[in-house]
Amino acid sequence: MGNKQTTFTEEQLEAYQVTGVTRQLAPHLVPLDYTNNPDIKVPATLIVTMPELKENPFRDRIVETFSEDGQGNMSFTDFVDMFSALCEAAPRELKTIYAFKIYDFNRDSFICKEDLKKTLNKLTKGELTPEEVTLVCDKAVEEADLDGDGKLSFADFENMISKAPDFLR
Amino acid sequence: MSATSECVEGGSRAPPAAKRHKSVRKNSRRIFSAYQDPQHSFSDDGGKEDEGVDSNDPEEMFQNIQFQKEIIANIRTRPWPMKRKLNVLKHAREIVLKYEGQLTRTRGYQTAGADLLKKLYRLLNNIVVIFIPWEVRIKKIESHFGSGVASYFIFLRWLFGINIVLTIMTGAFVVLPELLAGAPFGTTRSKTIPKEHLASAQDLDTIWSLGGYLQYSVLFYGYYGRVRKIGGAGYRLPLAYFLVGMAVFAYSFIILLRKMAKNSRLSLASASDENFTFCWRVFCAWDYLIGNPEAAECKGAAIVNNIREAIVEEQEKKKDTSLAVLISLRILANILVLLSLAGSIYIIYFVVDRSQKLEQEKAELTLWEKNEVSVVVSLITMIAPSAFELVAQLEMYHPRTSLRFQLARVLVLYLGNLYSLIIALLDKVNSMNSAHQGSSANWSDPISLLVSTSQSETHSLSTRMSKISAFEHHNITVATMTTALNVTSNNRGHSGSIYNQTAPFEKNARSQQDQCWETYVGQEMLKLSIIDMIFTVASILLIDFIRGLVVRYLSDCCCWDLESKFPEYGEFKIAENVLHLIYNQGMIWMGAFFSPCLPAFNVLKLIGLMYLRSWAVLTCNVPHQQVFRASRSNNFYLTMLLFMLFLCMLPTIFAIVKYRPSQHCGPFSGQEKIYDIISETVAADFPVWFSKVMSYITSPVVVLPALLLLFMLIYYLQAIARSLKFTNNQLRMQLQTERTEDKKKVYQLAAARLQAPEAASETKPDQQESDLTSKEASIHSPSPRRNGSITNFQSPVLRGNSIHTITQSASRTKLTRGNVSGSVRSPVTILPKRRAEHIPNRIRPLTGAPSDTCRSKSCLHMACNSPAHCSHCIHSDPLYRKTLCSLHPVEASAIIAAKSYNERRGHTTRYMIVNEHKPRAKLLRSATRIPCHYLLEEPAEIMKLYPHNMRRYAAHSSHYQPHSYRPHTSQHLIKEGEEGNKNTKKNMLVKARRPQSLSDLRQQAQFYIGDHVESHRTRHRVREDDEKDSGKGETDWRDFDIPSPSQASVRAVDSPFGQSSHHVQSPSRRSPARSRHLGSHLKLNLRANVETPLTESDSASVASSSDQQNSSTDQYIQVIHNKERYLSSDASQEKLANRKSKTKADLNLESNDLICSNV
Repeated sequence: MGNKQTTFTEEQLEAYQVTGVTRQLAPHLVPLDYTNNPDIKVPATLIVTMPELKENPFRDRIVETFSEDGQGNMSFTDFVDMFSALCEAAPRELKTIYAFKIYDFNRDSFICKEDLKKTLNKLTKGELTPEEVTLVCDKAVEEADLDGDGKLSFADFENMISKAPDFLR
Repeated sequence: MSATSECVEGGSRAPPAAKRHKSVRKNSRRIFSAYQDPQHSFSDDGGKEDEGVDSNDPEEMFQNIQFQKEIIANIRTRPWPMKRKLNVLKHAREIVLKYEGQLTRTRGYQTAGADLLKKLYRLLNNIVVIFIPWEVRIKKIESHFGSGVASYFIFLRWLFGINIVLTIMTGAFVVLPELLAGAPFGTTRSKTIPKEHLASAQDLDTIWSLGGYLQYSVLFYGYYGRVRKIGGAGYRLPLAYFLVGMAVFAYSFIILLRKMAKNSRLSLASASDENFTFCWRVFCAWDYLIGNPEAAECKGAAIVNNIREAIVEEQEKKKDTSLAVLISLRILANILVLLSLAGSIYIIYFVVDRSQKLEQEKAELTLWEKNEVSVVVSLITMIAPSAFELVAQLEMYHPRTSLRFQLARVLVLYLGNLYSLIIALLDKVNSMNSAHQGSSANWSDPISLLVSTSQSETHSLSTRMSKISAFEHHNITVATMTTALNVTSNNRGHSGSIYNQTAPFEKNARSQQDQCWETYVGQEMLKLSIIDMIFTVASILLIDFIRGLVVRYLSDCCCWDLESKFPEYGEFKIAENVLHLIYNQGMIWMGAFFSPCLPAFNVLKLIGLMYLRSWAVLTCNVPHQQVFRASRSNNFYLTMLLFMLFLCMLPTIFAIVKYRPSQHCGPFSGQEKIYDIISETVAADFPVWFSKVMSYITSPVVVLPALLLLFMLIYYLQAIARSLKFTNNQLRMQLQTERTEDKKKVYQLAAARLQAPEAASETKPDQQESDLTSKEASIHSPSPRRNGSITNFQSPVLRGNSIHTITQSASRTKLTRGNVSGSVRSPVTILPKRRAEHIPNRIRPLTGAPSDTCRSKSCLHMACNSPAHCSHCIHSDPLYRKTLCSLHPVEASAIIAAKSYNERRGHTTRYMIVNEHKPRAKLLRSATRIPCHYLLEEPAEIMKLYPHNMRRYAAHSSHYQPHSYRPHTSQHLIKEGEEGNKNTKKNMLVKARRPQSLSDLRQQAQFYIGDHVESHRTRHRVREDDEKDSGKGETDWRDFDIPSPSQASVRAVDSPFGQSSHHVQSPSRRSPARSRHLGSHLKLNLRANVETPLTESDSASVASSSDQQNSSTDQYIQVIHNKERYLSSDASQEKLANRKSKTKADLNLESNDLICSNV
């Protein structure tokens, strides 16, 4: 992939490009021949150390979200998938969807307060006091929860995030 | 895939537009096939395709192809794993390729050509990216420091682009013609260096002050010839000069406004007044582009600060203390700022005035007197911003707001200084003018000696002289303004020389050629720009680089930590730097008319700045603590730039309009006003009628009405915008109220539900016995709901389980409150009857339901209307499935979530995915929401479901597979064909139904479109079972595949077509609540994955189940008229009761269930 020697079939390249991915993304331990779709998984610990992710507080979640097994071990398609969602050209809706997934720690399709707490703690590296965290969580839910169920559904999340001025241009 | 993904997907699927309806309808079958699990069903699909296509007309084929193309086009927006994307893509491509050729040759060629074009385009795109200047560099910075810092560079690049265009404009239309066709250097007076200056023309000092050779070059206004037409082609240089000068402004305005409009369109959403302070801070805080550890640390700290601030703000909001005090403080702060602004302006004016006087009175000026103006101005520019910063603390604004205030104030300060200079200058010019008019006679003598000019010319000369001197001073001061104190030291030398030059002018008025005030303006602007650049470089090197070096390498030998305490590393202050860019651009605009090469110089300057800054940022800067995040859609910079442009244009325009051009230099020499060139051209070079027309057009008779019209237009547009805003708000309000009302309704429904036990659903029996019991239970439940619960309890199999489930469900319900609770409750009742294994599955779906409702705002709506809307998890076991359907119609939406859980759970996987179309339809009507394409959505969901099923199936029911395979091949084809038919029918039905939805309240226009998600194997297996049991007379009225469909099936199929009103039996029907909700029109797409391991031993039960399954698998839509349905249901009841002695008579409801369950 990153090293130019990795070979793909023409068809594969074609397909990947259509899906908005260039093959410039760089993994480390990938065979050079990809023409026959080898089923190789890169462990999460390696993926996380990529320069693109290594400073990201949510890297573990990101990797988990995009990996097929939910553990963060990524096959090549997962990998491509991840960067197609993270890349600049990805549509905003797609980003929203994956962002929601990333923030939904317990995968119950809601961002509940526990999820929020985890998010906050990852974000601030535990610098906030528990009271502060609780307060922020309450406030955040209060702000964005449209249907009053005490947690953020995807609709809430989408609504909130679509109005954020900072959401990825 | 995780459950969440499924859930999310529903929301994301909105994009497919209504235009696709038609094609979708026709091609749904093929879509399904396309979305099936790639690993598994490709060959099958191919077979299906063949059959389906053969039976279809070309039109349908074409639409199918169109649809596939749409899939290809939109595949990027789908949140699927890449593998699935690839497979779908591949498959869609195959289909397109395959059938496109069949349609027509030309079409095939067309697509081939289109493909080629696309490839070329892609290649071109990739190449273009290479040529985007500094793209890689900016990306690198972005990756290190986040988008905030990068936005500065992007802004810089954008300015660079503008300047390139300006350079091309001036270069191509003014500079090049003059160089090529104009009179060469030294031929005319305005192009020769005066003899007395020739000696010093090449001195560094002279060159540095842009005198000498530089002064008499294309750099400046004065060099350009006044000949009307130059060259062989008769190029009208003066006209071009004027037009280009105006075009520079026009272009800048247009490009700026366009960019702003685009940005504001992008940031439309942020225009709303809704504010999610905390959410944004939590979810949007992290800059995903950051890759540098230091930057990450910084960012983390910034986020913590931010959140703390928000907390404090929130607490203060609660306190609500001293609002009056705050307001008064802010007023005070603003007064202070205004005072300081006024003071600075006054001081500058005063100093300029004094220096002018001093110049006139004294022959020799002291050092201080010479540099008084520049020192004062630079002092002000240095001190005032920090003073503003102090003042801003008084105001206690949000950091971002205060930063904006700060920026705006600094900008005003800059402009104020500039303007005070210019105004003082003009004032001076005027006074000099009047003063010299009296003494013009004295002055004219020496001048006349030198040059034979008229009296009026001498007047102009004198005024010019005065202007020159004034400009010199002022321009220097302007330059110093931008530069800090250390630069002023640089200036001293130049200013001194300039003063020295000016002094002789005034006294002797040596030569007219020097009196070209336009050239002087240009010179000063260029000088300003150069000095500004030098200062920037110096500050970067000194303040950033040296400091960075010191901090890094001396921190060890210092007693305090240099890195974190005093000197620290230089911060990259985005806002200040952007302001500087804007200021710089303002100077360019100001001087461009007088110095055509200024844009070209600016291009060079920006290039240098880009490299230097990016280097400095990467080596010795840290991001600003208080990150001013200006995303690309932020108009703040642009607004300031626009402001600057306007204000910088004013003096130029003013000078053009007010003052006479220099008489002996420049393209407009000899004219009364610069703009006379236009009227002159019109008079001389255009036909007479044109000038007549022009005179009419410019007469007040036309201009005034035109102005009036413009104003009216503006007013009208504004009014429209206002009304749109208003309607926007109204719609939002409407949405909100609808949402709340829906919630209420849902609550009510839930309450009703609870009272009426819906417990029909039973634990799913792994074994036949359990199946039977569950069947019974389910059967019971549908018709009499209240009783159903009791029966369920009676069901021997699972009491312990039921308890288990109850507890879980209870906890769940607690979690989900409100509407959700209603939906949750119903499952609770159901749950007890199920097996323990199933419990988790059930619960999940329930929980999922609320999310779905939330997700599509319309969902709540739907739920309110008909509890039945929601579809449910279908269980592979027919019985079980039925029960679920009946019980949980409300929760249908939840299915998605459930699905994921099911995956984990294992073998008994039941999914019902229901797309609630009705709410969407409503939304469409209200025009608030984007209509989602159902059909498109369906396939997507199917896709997702499919793999899961497959896996599960493989894992758990591997021993069944042999069975499934056998029938598979033989029956497959037949089924496929029928399926295709059904699909088309379904589509038609759906179509017919939609319009009715509002009008027909009574009819339950509910369509259950069952997409068979299950693998073919299961289907076939079911088949087998069917065939085995078919002898028993269980006819699947839904099952079209069976050569002799039962009456019911026939009805189901026919009825929809014959009658416009279609009633699809929905599981919800059984529920009493449903009667209320007849009005609700829901097209439910049920996607049931039937993977349940069917035990062959199940005799009667199996048969029934198999029927269901078959029907579900084979048929996508089962539409039954109400009446007919009832009849059929009755009949089926009887039949079932008779045939299945084991099963209870309640089977009648089963039929409904069956309808619902499409496996």
